[in-house]
Amino acid sequence: MRSSYTAVVERNVTVRGVFTSEPYECGWAGEAVVFVRSLAGSLSGTHARVQISPDGMSWCDHGTEFALPAEGTVTACLVTHFGNWLRIAADTGNREATIIVTLQLKE
Amino acid sequence: MTHESAAPGLSKFDPLPRIIFADDFDAGINGWTELIGNYEDTLDSVLEPYRDHRPPQLSTLSMWDTGSVGSLEGMYALKVATRPKKGHQAVTIKRTTFRRASPIRVETFFTFKPEAAELRLGDQTPRSFGFLFDLQDDTERVMPHIRYLNSLDGELQQKWQFKRERAPFSQIGGSGKTVSHYHLSPEGWEDIPNGGQKLCYNEIATKHNWHYLRLDFDLESMRFLFFQCNDRIFDVTGLDSIRNPAMPNLWCMLNVAFFVEADADRRVFGYLDSVVLSGDF
Repeated sequence: MRSSYTAVVERNVTVRGVFTSEPYECGWAGEAVVFVRSLAGSLSGTHARVQISPDGMSWCDHGTEFALPAEGTVTACLVTHFGNWLRIAADTGNREATIIVTLQLKE
Repeated sequence: MTHESAAPGLSKFDPLPRIIFADDFDAGINGWTELIGNYEDTLDSVLEPYRDHRPPQLSTLSMWDTGSVGSLEGMYALKVATRPKKGHQAVTIKRTTFRRASPIRVETFFTFKPEAAELRLGDQTPRSFGFLFDLQDDTERVMPHIRYLNSLDGELQQKWQFKRERAPFSQIGGSGKTVSHYHLSPEGWEDIPNGGQKLCYNEIATKHNWHYLRLDFDLESMRFLFFQCNDRIFDVTGLDSIRNPAMPNLWCMLNVAFFVEADADRRVFGYLDSVVLSGDF
């Protein structure tokens, strides 16, 4: 049976402007789905970039981007070949929302 | 058949006759999850210190300079990681119940380190590493807490502490059914008598040494029995725990939690190679 795990890496966090999620170590997983859910506020028109790292401290773009959610909705992207570390980075400008960021990881 | 012949990985532990669980994190997360405070209707009702105890990670102890360390035995350890914020706590918990009010024993191999973001020793960056039981019998909720206070406000402390001081309860939401109390607050920790211990921290932030820890607790008398870390045995028989009247939905609760705390604005990582909980029944 394949291992899978859901990690809530940000919960009830209000973002505005430049934002990065906390680093998450998940080298055991071969694939990830990154979800961003808006609890309040809209980030429509802005995007997040998936980022990877050799050490959990230095980060670069993975090459995957996805739209951030409107109020009360959820958006997602699919990621593979991310090595050992994952996070997302975004600049939401003047848009503000309270969000949950979830990684669904699968072997 | 002995435990050791059935499961060779257990030979590094000294379990009681009944293995309640033996978690090797090479086999996955094994039921260890993030501790979160109680809430009603909205996450905004969670007490502030309980809002962000961070999800545990399956870690290879990946270092920028030498690559993956791996765990004591195998590839993966359970990692709890703080935010880069002084005073922040990361807490992981496993929840079960007991079927016999017997002596129980928790054992683990652990280590802790700051994130190696500075090319410095960083030995004053982790504030504490600790663990607790959260237990309830027919009359009381009992919460034995033990921590290794490594550093406080930048000064090395290197001693074991316990906690018996109760935190005030707060009503959560409007139903009258939900309360919360911040038992991991910085206040109320007391030194374990003769509880000083210098752990092997090693010489740079990317070198890790594993430490053995064992705590025995009696579920019948709800008293500490025995505490050991590496080669030191501490007399905990006269110590007490946080005690409160039994609560409505927690009968026979047997929860085990580990936590790590930052003493500077840097991430601090606590790692568990494996955890064994055993009972004398």
